Amino acid sequence: MAAPGSRLRLEAALGFLLLLACAQALVPSHRLDARDLARLRAVLERPFTDVRAAFYSIVGLSSLGVRVADEKAACKFIKSHVDSSSVESLFYAAQAMQVLSGCEVTISNETRELLLAAVSEDSSVTQIFHAVGALSGFGLPLASQEALSALSARLSKEESVLATIQALETASHLSQQADLSSIVEEIEDLVARLDDLGGVYLQFEEGIETTALFVAAAYKLSDHVGTEPAIKEDQVIQLMNAIFSKKNFETLSEAFSIARAAGALSQNRFHLPIIIVPDGPAAVSHHQPLLRLQVTNVMSQLLTQVSVKLDQARSVSSKATVLQQLPFTLSGDFFELNFMNVKPASGYYDFSISVDGDKRFIANKVELKVKVSTEVGITNVDLSIVDKDQSIAPKTTRVAYPAKAKGSFTADSHQNFALSFQLIDVNSGAELIPHQTFVRLHNQKTGQEVVFVAEPDSKNVYKFELDTSERKTEFDSASGTYTLYLIIGDATLENPILWNVADVVITFPEEDAPSTVQSKNLFVPKPEIQHLFREPEKRPPTVVSNTFTALVLSPLLLLLILWIKIGANISNFSFAPSTIVFHLGHAAMLGLMYVYWTQLNMFQTLKYLAILGGITFLAGNRMLAQKAVKRTQ
Amino acid sequence: MRNSSYRSQPRRCAPARCGRAARRMRSAVAAAVMAGSVWAVARRFLSEYGGGTAGRLKALDAFLLYVLLTGALQFGYCLGVGTFPFNSFLSGFISAVGSFILGVCLRIQINPQNKGEFQGISPERAFADFLFANTILHLVVINFVG
Repeated sequence: MAAPGSRLRLEAALGFLLLLACAQALVPSHRLDARDLARLRAVLERPFTDVRAAFYSIVGLSSLGVRVADEKAACKFIKSHVDSSSVESLFYAAQAMQVLSGCEVTISNETRELLLAAVSEDSSVTQIFHAVGALSGFGLPLASQEALSALSARLSKEESVLATIQALETASHLSQQADLSSIVEEIEDLVARLDDLGGVYLQFEEGIETTALFVAAAYKLSDHVGTEPAIKEDQVIQLMNAIFSKKNFETLSEAFSIARAAGALSQNRFHLPIIIVPDGPAAVSHHQPLLRLQVTNVMSQLLTQVSVKLDQARSVSSKATVLQQLPFTLSGDFFELNFMNVKPASGYYDFSISVDGDKRFIANKVELKVKVSTEVGITNVDLSIVDKDQSIAPKTTRVAYPAKAKGSFTADSHQNFALSFQLIDVNSGAELIPHQTFVRLHNQKTGQEVVFVAEPDSKNVYKFELDTSERKTEFDSASGTYTLYLIIGDATLENPILWNVADVVITFPEEDAPSTVQSKNLFVPKPEIQHLFREPEKRPPTVVSNTFTALVLSPLLLLLILWIKIGANISNFSFAPSTIVFHLGHAAMLGLMYVYWTQLNMFQTLKYLAILGGITFLAGNRMLAQKAVKRTQ
Repeated sequence: MRNSSYRSQPRRCAPARCGRAARRMRSAVAAAVMAGSVWAVARRFLSEYGGGTAGRLKALDAFLLYVLLTGALQFGYCLGVGTFPFNSFLSGFISAVGSFILGVCLRIQINPQNKGEFQGISPERAFADFLFANTILHLVVINFVG
């Protein structure tokens, strides 16, 4: 039994490796581009309504790296609107003032006492968070160890995600001398509580705002403590996708949370997600031989102190490696690579690109699909009329693109019409097989058109042959002059072709010609279908069935007459109680049969039958026993 | 080797076959056949029957005749008029056939000439069995009649 076990383990290992390979292919799908940033700033730059709004705006904007427009006015607003008796209001004021430059305030002793008193095991985690944040923002001394123990004690009672996130933020205000490892472990627990949506997004069920606050808090605490957060690379990308997928910021708190998450992910000591953005569509051609890329962080800030390298360029169709290990050159804001130098054939290529420069980079290896376009040229275009009997030599005319063939060609039932041509890449001279090579015949008078496909033979020469008598159903046997067009198209062609090659006169035998060509109108109502209801069974007339009912009941009459004749009587009927009960019970059972027929179902009947049957059985048993005794006496 | 079916005494012949009434009937039938008339056979049979059978059995025979006629008439209707509704016809016909069979069983069991065959079953027990079986039969019949 060792072989199946080890084989299972091998398969499991292979499956895990495959999963890992797929997982490593995870790329960021969302980021804050310039428009998103503008929208975010617009929300954060609204005029303040209260201290809380001021806090969200000021701290949010500072996370994005933007200073508030009028710092003095903001400072004055906060000072006038702060409520010294509320810990929460003091927290908002303190944190906002810490960001503004030159904004100082003196704190009275009462306020300080209020804040210190709030840091205890009796306050909720939110209150402890606000108090510690306020004390730290005002620069007041704080007993970190006591605060830490109060926080830990409180956290063990409150299990909600938001409370844990606030605990992380609180710990980032405490001194590094204190042992914050128990709080740091909460990061790992919170990561486990995230929901994985399709392998692309990772977010809390409480929503994106909570997820963004978590990211900001986790990185702030990790930076403060100096240990890498327990979030894997793929998880960072998934978190990023979830947070930046929200493009509409209705409330200020939402905008604040996303701004803080963006700030955290673009500037922390451990994980820096980067995004590689091609300039326009990732396509190169002879006119545009350079592939241009930009490298940005989550806030679309350009990173130019990095090195971008092409690891491998593989053709999608032939899977051959065209280029390897080539660095991109920096030109202004863009990283460029001249791909046309290797003279690639037209088509799609998979580029594996890696970005280096900082150990913190995440998602720095991407796969990019690049299209190489070219122009097509048509050569060796030959139109010929071939006689079916091969008696007359075929008449061939050469036409040059884009001219039209002079004169018209006639084809009737004795002749075939043939067209052959070659398609080449104008720049490289190689033969091309585009996706669309159609020959279209358009009847000038009736407006009919028939489209055929021209197919290449083994030497990549396209041939099209039209046997008019064979194909007459497609033409509806309408004789006349048809314009011949050649249509060439492909995704990798820069110059799709629609070329009027020649005029062809096709004649069909007269007997097949339809009177007029009707255009099929497909969109008229169809004939209505009448539903056929199930016909009831044929029944005999009521007279017949009534007669037979009477007839079937007549033997009963005969029976009674016979019984009377034989002399059957009930003179021996004894009025003993068991006899009466038996007969009543039996009659009840018969009545139950009738009720069963009209009303009940089997289960109910069985229930009643069991009861009645039991009674009847007992009484009958007694009665028959007495009869037996009387008989043997 | 000794044959396992060897018996010390010859096997006893059942009264229905070898009893006095049966022997008399056979001799009467033989006489009538020799007289050469079906009517004579029938008349002789009826008279022997009338005289030799207990009243209880005759009442039961009348019941069996009734059931037979009912079943036959139902079948005749079905042949003549049609089988719709088929389940009702089946239910009625099976009721007739089933009752007939149970009646025949009861008659065999309470016939005093067959007492030797049914040692452990008294006429009362036979009647109780008859009632029980009829109950079950008619439960099914009523279920099916529709």
